[in-house]
Amino acid sequence: MQSLSPATLLVLVPLLPLAGAVLTLLLGRLLGSRAHLPAIAGIAAAAAVAVTLLLGTSNQVGSAHGPHAEPVRPVEMITTLWQWASVQDAYVPPEGSAAALPGTAVSGAGGAARAFTIPVALRLDPLTATLLAIITCIGLVVAVYSVGYMHHDPGYPRFFAVFSLFVFSMSMLVAASNFLVVYVFWEAVGACSYLLIGFWFTKPEAARAAKKAFLVNRVGDFGLAIATFLLWMTYGTLDFHDTLSPDGTILPGILGQTRLADAGGIVGGAVGTAICLCLLLAACGKSAQMPLHVWLPDAMEGPTPASALIHAATMVTAGIYLVARSAPLFMACPDALAAVSIVGATTALVAGLIATVQNDLKRVLAYSTISQLGYMFASLGTGTLLGFTAAIFHLVTHAFFKALLFLGAGSVMHSMGGVIDMRRFGGLRRIMPITAATFLVGGLALAGVAPFSGFFSKDEILATLHAKGWPNAHGEHHDAAPASHASLPLPPGEGRGEGAPATRLASLTRSPAAAPPAVLDTPETFRVLFWMSLVTAGLTAFYTFRAVFMTFTGPIRVPEEAGHHAHESPPVMALPLIILAVPSAIAGWWLFSSQWLAHFLTATPSFSAPAVTATAVPHAFHMDLAIQGTLAAAIGIVIAAIGHLGRRSDGPQMERFLGPLQTFFANRCYIDQLYAGLIVRPLEGLALLAALFDRFVIDGLVNGVARLPAALGGVVRRLQTGLLQRYALAGVMGVLAIVFVLAWRLRG
Amino acid sequence: MNGLTPGMHLVLVLVTPLVGAVVAWVLGSRGYAAVRQSAAVTALLTLMAAGWLVVRYLASPEAAAGQPYAVLTLPWLVDGMFDVRLSLGLDGLSIWLFGLSALLSLTAVLVSWEAIKERPVGFYVLLLVLEAAMLGVFAARDVILFYVCFEFTLVPLFFLIGIWGHDERRKAAIKFFLYTLAGSVLAFLGLLTIVLWNASHTGTVTFDIDALTAGLAAHPLPMNAEGGWLQMIVFLALFAGFAIKVPIVPFHTWLPLAHVEAPTGGSVDLAGILLKLGIYGFLRFSLPMLPDATALAAPWIFGLGVAGIVYGALVALVQTDLKRLIAYSSVSHMGYCVMGLFALEPVAVEGATLQLVNHGLSSAGLFALVGMIYERYHTRNIASLGGIASKAPWLAALFMLFTFSSIGLPGLNGFVGEFMILAGSFQRAWGGVSAAWRTAYLVMACLGVAGVVLGAWYMLWAVERVLFGPSREPPKGAGSGHTHNSGHDHSHDHGAHGHAAHAAATDDLAWHELAALLPLVVFVFWIGLVPATFLGPTAGAVRGIMQPSAQAFAARMEEAAVPAAAADFVSLQYPTPTP
Repeated sequence: MQSLSPATLLVLVPLLPLAGAVLTLLLGRLLGSRAHLPAIAGIAAAAAVAVTLLLGTSNQVGSAHGPHAEPVRPVEMITTLWQWASVQDAYVPPEGSAAALPGTAVSGAGGAARAFTIPVALRLDPLTATLLAIITCIGLVVAVYSVGYMHHDPGYPRFFAVFSLFVFSMSMLVAASNFLVVYVFWEAVGACSYLLIGFWFTKPEAARAAKKAFLVNRVGDFGLAIATFLLWMTYGTLDFHDTLSPDGTILPGILGQTRLADAGGIVGGAVGTAICLCLLLAACGKSAQMPLHVWLPDAMEGPTPASALIHAATMVTAGIYLVARSAPLFMACPDALAAVSIVGATTALVAGLIATVQNDLKRVLAYSTISQLGYMFASLGTGTLLGFTAAIFHLVTHAFFKALLFLGAGSVMHSMGGVIDMRRFGGLRRIMPITAATFLVGGLALAGVAPFSGFFSKDEILATLHAKGWPNAHGEHHDAAPASHASLPLPPGEGRGEGAPATRLASLTRSPAAAPPAVLDTPETFRVLFWMSLVTAGLTAFYTFRAVFMTFTGPIRVPEEAGHHAHESPPVMALPLIILAVPSAIAGWWLFSSQWLAHFLTATPSFSAPAVTATAVPHAFHMDLAIQGTLAAAIGIVIAAIGHLGRRSDGPQMERFLGPLQTFFANRCYIDQLYAGLIVRPLEGLALLAALFDRFVIDGLVNGVARLPAALGGVVRRLQTGLLQRYALAGVMGVLAIVFVLAWRLRG
Repeated sequence: MNGLTPGMHLVLVLVTPLVGAVVAWVLGSRGYAAVRQSAAVTALLTLMAAGWLVVRYLASPEAAAGQPYAVLTLPWLVDGMFDVRLSLGLDGLSIWLFGLSALLSLTAVLVSWEAIKERPVGFYVLLLVLEAAMLGVFAARDVILFYVCFEFTLVPLFFLIGIWGHDERRKAAIKFFLYTLAGSVLAFLGLLTIVLWNASHTGTVTFDIDALTAGLAAHPLPMNAEGGWLQMIVFLALFAGFAIKVPIVPFHTWLPLAHVEAPTGGSVDLAGILLKLGIYGFLRFSLPMLPDATALAAPWIFGLGVAGIVYGALVALVQTDLKRLIAYSSVSHMGYCVMGLFALEPVAVEGATLQLVNHGLSSAGLFALVGMIYERYHTRNIASLGGIASKAPWLAALFMLFTFSSIGLPGLNGFVGEFMILAGSFQRAWGGVSAAWRTAYLVMACLGVAGVVLGAWYMLWAVERVLFGPSREPPKGAGSGHTHNSGHDHSHDHGAHGHAAHAAATDDLAWHELAALLPLVVFVFWIGLVPATFLGPTAGAVRGIMQPSAQAFAARMEEAAVPAAAADFVSLQYPTPTP
């Protein structure tokens, strides 16, 4: 593989699963029970390639320690596959807009027209390489597990075809280097998710859940579409990367190094905030953040492996990826950044609360996913380098342990004959020891118990929130921490290229008066968010161990659906559990102590913008925060143990002490009902009104007008032969007669 | 075939369906099998000839230079001041619609394969005549030929609906015919005024579209009180014809009725091609010839387009008849074309032009599939259908695909046009209108984007109810059962080797049904993945066509208010610019 260029390898990562999907689709029926072979081969090969790429990129970035520990230079590689569309002279940037970035051909021509060009370009940088490796490796493990789980399902080939298609789409999503191409695969992963949620389409609940997921995601996509249009209007391009135009000048991309090196290159203000909020809406849809989180719990109607890969480990992190990728855009809009944190921490807390009273094991995990994604958003919204890397760090560890937990839940479900209600089984550790042990590892990681992986990533998130809430407590860096870097009072033109437009632009964007005071981005906000996150940590530990205790401890009980063959899952399912348990246990410790990931990610162009690197802090372990986090987790576990350890899971539950709150949370805070009452029903009513209006008013008018001649037509009834052809002929001939009369008169 | 001059090649394409119609008529005595086979062969030959012509066009120097191709002119009345010629040709605007007409005609024949066994001769003859008329509209380069073909598409479809339609076929046919005829007679008067105005200034009576465009550019119709607002009057006359054809809300009520009652083949042609004639007419005549009136009306028609998107989607949401639902989705989708066209922004207009083709593919596919569902279960009532995916997986898969195409899933064709239309509309709203209009335009553009959500809602609702869930359709054979389903014999040929649980999958597509849909599928993916192939050839022609109106619009917006549209834009970005 060494002989292949990185560009070829990069293309292979999505291409191989695509080939697997197409082969499965074409040969599925022939292969029968071996229909998983093309898909697994494709994903396995892609995983190998992705790991190669990850190592190669890592070598390029260099080591965090040792002799080469110099400032990290951004690393990226772009390869363009084909031009998707191109419309010449589509856009003339207004004078002085950010599209006319100084030092380029555009400003030289004083707002020359620019083409609407969309290249299908793939990029390789540390962020992409990391995510590609996660997607393909976890995809591979889950695919192997599915061989056992989906065995005997009539839709076996269909499952692997869509699964493979998903891996392709997701790889393209994180590798795309253009907002439009991101949008394309943003919806493509949504379509794969739709097909997998509705996999058992004869179940009405599954069909409904699939539709719901797609529609809620469409609302998010609405945001992404508008953000894309605004970006196109503002920057005159949708590329992330810089492109070299034929005449040798550089056309700066939105997130290209030219623009990033230029502190005034990113638009802030009202437009910038609007763009960022639209991106946030999109991210909320895909990553199931409030208020668009309602689809994810219902998505559990799909097969459990799909839930593990798509609705826990990868697709739902697309929102995190989008915000992280757009970090420089958010850095210019401190309030939008704070909004990201607020949405994230609120979602984390609310979802954690709802999870505490769910009795469906997969639903507990679904709400837990929402909650953990909320953590990542809270971290991203701090707008610091540590915040961004911590979010990705948590994304990575979460991908391992949440996939593990879901596969464990699937293993339970497989053995219990499809039953997933925790009140109907118990004491399963004696029936399925491997599942129990690996589930426990996943649970410890999720609960944030040291030294399991979730502990370290969650600790970093708490640290970054804490640093924003109490800037003074973190030493000399607080002066760089306020995210309103865009308003740093640098003298116009300093540290930039030469040229008058540059100076003018800089003075426009960066003059101190230009930046309104931040409304949301205050230390007080982040203090509240920090405490919310800490409470969430306790809740996480509680609901995780509540689930562990209800499922695996207490007297052995098995539902009648399981029949007499409740057993440990076959090796093809158990092995993936063991494989995932290893990184769930140790990846956090390793990545934290070596700082490999944090250092590696720093070389991502989006994280190497001066605005971001200015917020860098030295790597440190915050003992005080670690103690607080561990304490929260310990309290949660202890309460869960008091309520559920060793008890029958169908007995009266401890949560009944919550009183009406239990009903409130068990009904998911009535958010679904709220949407039905506020949005869905009124729209349906409006639709009905529109249909009645259409039928009786518009069509009624048309019919009325049509009857008018007939009413007057008694006089000419003899002419009304009822033959339409004759009417038409008469009409045409009459018109022709008029023409020729007029024409002759003109002549004469 | 390269020995053939392009002009003769074009004539060959136009004549083939007519010859085929005669052959089908002659074969009439041999039974419906012979008739439908000859119709299919004719449609296939026409498609091959048309496809080859399209390929030749793309390779020709004329295409690269933006010139019309395969021009053939036949003097008809050339005498003194009269310079009346019949002229044919293709250009970047018409080339894809021309190809689409040939493609969908084959689809229309194949979807009628089992459905039409009564009076097959008349049916297939009319279908082929309709094909010739549709090809003729797009090949016409003079007003007379255009209008004759434009009107002549009505007649075959009138009979197709009125004879082979469903229960309310007579009412539907008459409404369809009279409504569209009323509009197009007005449009013809408008076109004649253009011809005569041009004649009175140049001294030559010509019907040639290029000559008229040039003539009106030199001597525009008056757009003021002294001139009697003649340009506006002509614009409204043309609008009457084209808006009903599109249809633009509120002139759309003939469409659902016509679709519901039409036989499947008629619906395919109606949705796929005939609706496109309205937008095509705007592009051919209104935009280049009446720029000032277009500029004046553009914001309002843009608004009607947006209203159509939302309104059509809402009405579709509560339909109980699957075919009616798709008919209303057509209203909604044509709203996007109207919106894009009257945004008068290059990206949007090119998107709208492409969207004509996209909608032709997806709506034709959906109507064809609804017809196939009807043939199997004798109902189109959404509530009595369900679980088709278990019984006919390939039918369901294709229904999903065309649904995704219709709701603009990226990677498929519908997305490309929709995205470009909306991007262009935003561009117009953002920096291309005066301050007074900006808020209205921004709201309308956002509503257009919201229509994408509504569109997904009703289509996925229908999919959920019809394809998914437990089996719900009435037992087969409950109806008279006369037309259905010889597909049983063939269904094993294409992959329905049942797994135990799918043993019932015997309702799946027959070969002729697959053959009707697969060519559309190819283009659904092709346009979605490499739209540049299709955008490139149209770009030049569309740009030239919209130029006068776009300039007039810009002039209006500048005189209307602040010259500081751009300055305002900047201050929006940077709230307090300080020197």
